[in-house]
Order: sequence, then structure tokens, then C-alpha cells
Amino acid sequence: MLDLLVRKKIITDQEAEEVRAELTKEAATTSAGKWKLSTPITELELYGDIRLRYQYNGGRTAGDTPVAAPGAGVAGLHDWQERERERYRLRLGLRGILADDWFFGVRLETNASDRSSNVTFGDDTSSSSAGGGGPFAKGSDGVDVGQAYLGYKGFKDITLTGGKMPNPLVTTLMVWDPDINPEGLAEQWKHTFNFTFGGGRAESSAQGYSKEGGKGVVATQAEGEPFKLKIDVFANFAQFVYDDANPENPLGARGTTTANGVGTQLIPNTDAFLLAWQVGARFTFPKNIYAQIAPTLYNYTGNGDTFNVHFQGGDPLLTNSASLAQNQTGINSLLVFDMPWEIGWKLGEIPMRLFGDFAVNLEADDRAAAAGHPGKGDQRYAYQIGAGLGQLKVKHDWQIDVWYQHSDQYALDPNLVDDDIFDGRLNMHGIGVRAGYALSDAVILSLSYNYGWRVDHGLGTGGMPIAIGINPLDQYQWFVADLNVRF
Amino acid sequence: MKTKYLALSIILAASVSSVHADRLVIKGSDTLGAKLVPQLAEQFKSQHPGTTFDIAAEGSTTGIAAIIDGTAEIGMSSRRAKSSEVGAATAKGRNMKPTIVAYDGIAVIVNAKSPVKSLTKKQVEQIFTGDVTDWSAVGGSGGKISIYTRNTSSGTYSDFKELAMKKRDYAGSSQKMAGNEQIAAEVGRNPNGVGYVGMAYTKASGLKVVPIDGVTPSVKTVQDHSYSYWRPTFYYTNGEPGGLAKQFLDFTVSSTGQKIVTRVGFVPVK
Repeated sequence: MLDLLVRKKIITDQEAEEVRAELTKEAATTSAGKWKLSTPITELELYGDIRLRYQYNGGRTAGDTPVAAPGAGVAGLHDWQERERERYRLRLGLRGILADDWFFGVRLETNASDRSSNVTFGDDTSSSSAGGGGPFAKGSDGVDVGQAYLGYKGFKDITLTGGKMPNPLVTTLMVWDPDINPEGLAEQWKHTFNFTFGGGRAESSAQGYSKEGGKGVVATQAEGEPFKLKIDVFANFAQFVYDDANPENPLGARGTTTANGVGTQLIPNTDAFLLAWQVGARFTFPKNIYAQIAPTLYNYTGNGDTFNVHFQGGDPLLTNSASLAQNQTGINSLLVFDMPWEIGWKLGEIPMRLFGDFAVNLEADDRAAAAGHPGKGDQRYAYQIGAGLGQLKVKHDWQIDVWYQHSDQYALDPNLVDDDIFDGRLNMHGIGVRAGYALSDAVILSLSYNYGWRVDHGLGTGGMPIAIGINPLDQYQWFVADLNVRF
Repeated sequence: MKTKYLALSIILAASVSSVHADRLVIKGSDTLGAKLVPQLAEQFKSQHPGTTFDIAAEGSTTGIAAIIDGTAEIGMSSRRAKSSEVGAATAKGRNMKPTIVAYDGIAVIVNAKSPVKSLTKKQVEQIFTGDVTDWSAVGGSGGKISIYTRNTSSGTYSDFKELAMKKRDYAGSSQKMAGNEQIAAEVGRNPNGVGYVGMAYTKASGLKVVPIDGVTPSVKTVQDHSYSYWRPTFYYTNGEPGGLAKQFLDFTVSSTGQKIVTRVGFVPVK
């Protein structure tokens, strides 16, 4: 503006300079003016959220589990284990755009867990116990790096990312816990195609409609408005380092193990990778109608040194403790085809949507056999279907989601599934309900409830217990009330 | 009692002496302080006998810092004060007042024997950031490009970064020189050298000025801003100057002062 005024000879260079100096002085005394950012940063965003939560978890043992008579710490038949916790979560992040199409992001989170950033109030040890503590100690209030990534967007339609990153894949709670920030590389491509059909006179509208084989909206055509279709075609590829083997080359001869129960084997010495290939499209029609589908294939290579023992997932014929002690994390024989989808529209001003997911493990026969249940290879499917109403964007918005979910024992990677629904277990099915209301643009009050049942009573409920130490988890329920401040 | 009076007399005498010393402390830009300001000072002294100058030309940053710290009456600068510097001055109760005393064009120079006849702005950016490292990539006859830049306390250093390099960092291989004359000398000696200097320093032997997008820095192209790398140069003072500092500032922007500005190789304000 000053330069323009000078060019127009409305003010002199000296006058412009004095105004510029005054503006600089004013800016320098504001809070923003006191921040100093390095030159390569062209844009920086501070964001995060703080959440207060009341949480209830309850799980019931099976009626057919051969356990000892109920006693202190011993599971009985149809015995409920319940937990109530008051918790908080803090996530604080920075996203930056750098010169020459580079970008980066970091986020700090208050829990080292891959699937949670929650800290439970009052869970510190007493001051008299070993290691100190006290009623309000900070022993569990750690800060961990949740995300640390960098990327490049210099090629048209392509985003390349490396590091510990937000999940680059289109997915659902059924397959991926949204708290997980996978580590490795991701390549994303997205291109938007815009089509306009018809418009103008009624004849040409009808012709345009005809060309689309009746897929258009007749009413729109009749009014002479062009029919606009936007198609976002995308492809996401990921190479996540799932488990680092250490060392790859040990001193002397490689050791052996019998952990997989198939005789003596050399201890694996290769890193494990999770590879994902996803292609998909989002169709956006007039009148806020959209549909999205994102078929994905996941497979695993290498072994790592943590998840290389065959998955077993618990067994109802064992005692609860023995069932829990079975391997719950192995990633053997997982070749998962997954297809999340969503369809949305507006009813008046209210956004509505149907959403769902379908997954099948193409190597479930091998996974079941390795788990000691060779006849259970049919336990390979997982699916979800739900409906949503409303959308939380600004103050006074509300949203309700209801869904049903079913996950067979050998369908999915138990280390990735959402830990709120069914305590992160497989071989469970049930319902989820989530309702939220925006008290302000930044504050959301929400209530969530899930109830689940075991699918196959001949199997355990595989997956590491998150809150409930029961396997098989015959029934499960979870309730949370959240007050979440986003900034 | 006599001792007390004696001490008081000495203090008063010293105070009076400092008030009437007619000594002006000027610090800052090498671009301004190496040639222009000394010549202005000489002329000013001839009109104001008894006036003395203490001129230190070690970069614009030092001039602005001197105003913030109160160690100079005038801070020479070939760049605008940064927000952080203005903030620091405000915190100390000082008011950074800029006065434009001349315009300048930052000339891109190469060795006189270089076959390079002109450069585009993009090529200049590529050269100084290290995106290209051989003259053959920008119309030369081949050979590793030797880059000479000012040091980080220089206003020209940061001005050039902003005007010509989209604020990107200089190439790691660039060699940082203390002043314009050193850059001119190095480029004059090195057939593969490239650097930048204020217009007042383009007459050194062994070098030539490269037109940028077909425009050569001159009084006309700087005044009409058709030359891309033009800039104002400043005297910074703590608020409205007074006394000797005001007299010297007024002299600098007077017709007499501006003639000297032109003679030295800068572009006059008027």
C-alpha cells in the first residue's frame, strides 16, 4: 500500500518510510511481533487440544470358561471387571510450511502409548512408596513426541512424507485407531477432475442427462442449471517401519527360538514393514451429495523382533490368565483387503451420511492354523456400517453417529484396531453410539458408548487388553463423557 | 571543603567540555560509511570548523545496535531496522527514526573477462543460493562459480537476500567479505567470481556490472525503480535528532550534500 502511494506520488518516500517505521514499531510491540521465526518458515500453525474425560470400561468373563471358583483376583463365570477413570489429554502441535514446497510437523502428546494420549488422574504412587510420588505427582504426566515428520509437495498433485506422521490413509476405527501415528514413508497423489454436463436450454440439459446414462439429477437439469461433478481421484502408498530388528547381524551365530511352537527356528533378524496400497475416489455431486470409496491392500514383510511370534489370540478352553498369556500381537499371515466408504448428503441444512468398512484377511486360513485353530479360517471378515447426523464445526452444531461393527478373530491386525471399541479386541461385534454438541467454536461436549459381544465362542478375543484383563471377553461396554477444547 | 569544591569544578568543567565538544559519533553501514559519509563529513567540517567525527563502518547491524544502545548519534544503515530491533529499541525507551539520505542499487558484478553479458533474476537467485554452481548453466563459458557476499552484519547482505534470493540462504560455498571494496577486489581478481556491491563501488578495476533482466543500475533506473535491486539508505536516530546530529543530517539531504551523494556514486533523494 505504501509503495503504491509513493508510486502515485501521494506521499514521499520519506513519509512512507516514517509510516513504515511506525507500523514496524507497533507490530514489534504486539505478541505476534515478538515471535521470531526462522527465514525458511513461510507459514506456521500452532494447534492442539485439551480434553477432560470420564471413562468407564466393563468386561465380562465367559460362562463356559473353566476357571477356579471366584475369589480375589480370580475370574469367575460371568464375572464383570469394571474400571472408572477421570483422565485428561493434551496434544500440542506445530505445522509449518517451508520455502520451496517443503513442510514439517511436530506434535507432543501426554502419553507414550501408541493408541492413547490420556493421563489418568490420581494414578501416581503414594509418597511413601518406592520411587516417591504423592497424590498429585507427575509420574504419569509425561510428554512424548507423537508426530515428527517432514515432507515435500513440489511435484504436482503429489505429497511425499517421511517420519512419524498422521495416518495418510483413508480408514475407519475398525482398522486403525486414530491415535496411532505410523512411522515410515508415505506417497500421496490426488487429482481433481471437474465435469459440467448440460445447462442452458432444456433440450441440451436433457441431452447431457442422457449422455450420463441417467446418473444425473433430473430436477436440476430441468431448471437449466448445469450438472457439476467433481471427482477427486487419489492414491496413497505407505511403507511403515512396523518393528525394527536389533541387531540385524548379531555377534557370532544367530540364536534360535522355539517361541512359535514349530520346533527350533533361527531368531528373525529382519525389520518388519507394513505396506499399504490404496486407491480411491471421492465423487462430489450438486446439492452437497458425495460418495467416497478407498480400496486398500495391507501386507507385512520381514519379521522384526517384537511381533514375530505367531498370533494365538486366547482360548476359552484355558484359564483366563493362560488365555491372556497367549500371543496377542503376532502379525503373521496378514494380507488384508480393506474398503472403507462413505456417502453423504444434506437433509435441509442437516448433514447426513452413511459410512462403513469391509475387510477380509486373504491369509486367514494360515493365521488360524498357526493359532492352533485350523478349522477357523472362515473367521476372516470384518465389517462396519453406520449412520451419522449433523456435523461439529461451529458453536451450537451437533452430531450423532451410530454404527455396528463386527471383527472376526483372524480378520485384522489386532495392534492397530481402535482401543476404545471392544477394548482393542478381535472376535467381537457390537454397536457404538457417539453424540456431540459444540458449546462454542472450540469446545465440544460429547458422550460415547459401545457395547460388544464375542463373535465365535470357540475362540478367545485376540488383542492386547487395554483396560480389561479378560480373555475371552464375553461382553464389553465402554462409556466416556468428554469435554474437549480444540485450538 | 576545598577538596569538594575542586572535585565539583572538575565535574562541571568536564560536563561543559562534553557539551561543546562538537564531536559526532556515527556507526553502521559499510556501504555508506566507507566513502559517502566520510566525504560528507569532510565537507561539513569545512563549514563547521572544530567539528570532529568518529565514524565506524562495520555494517548496518552495528549502526542500528548503536542507536539502541545509545553509543552513537547517527546509525548508518543500508536496510530497514528489523522488527526485533525496533522492539529492542522500544523496550529501552528509544525511538528508531529513519531518514532516507540516498538511494542505492545493488549491482551484480563479475570479472571483466567473464563472457556473461546479462543475467535474469532467476539466474541470480540460482547462483547465489547454489542451485547452479557452474558458469555454463547461466551463459558463461564454464568453470566453478566463486560467490562473494557481505558478512551477516551487513545491510546489503540481508537486502540482497530479500531482493534477489526470495529470502533463501546463501550457498554454503559463498565467501563472506567485510566490505564492498573487498568484494570488488576479489571479483576483479577471480575470472569465475561473482558478487554484489553498492553502485558506488562498481568503478573498481577488473570487474563489470551485469544487467539484470536487461536493466543496468543507474541513477535513472534506481529512481524510477525499474532496476530490481534498488533500495533506500538511511540515517537512524533516536527520535527527532538535535544538535550536531540534526545539522549533519540536514546537511546530508541538502543540495550540497546530495551533490556529494551523486559524486560518490549513490542516487540522490531529490
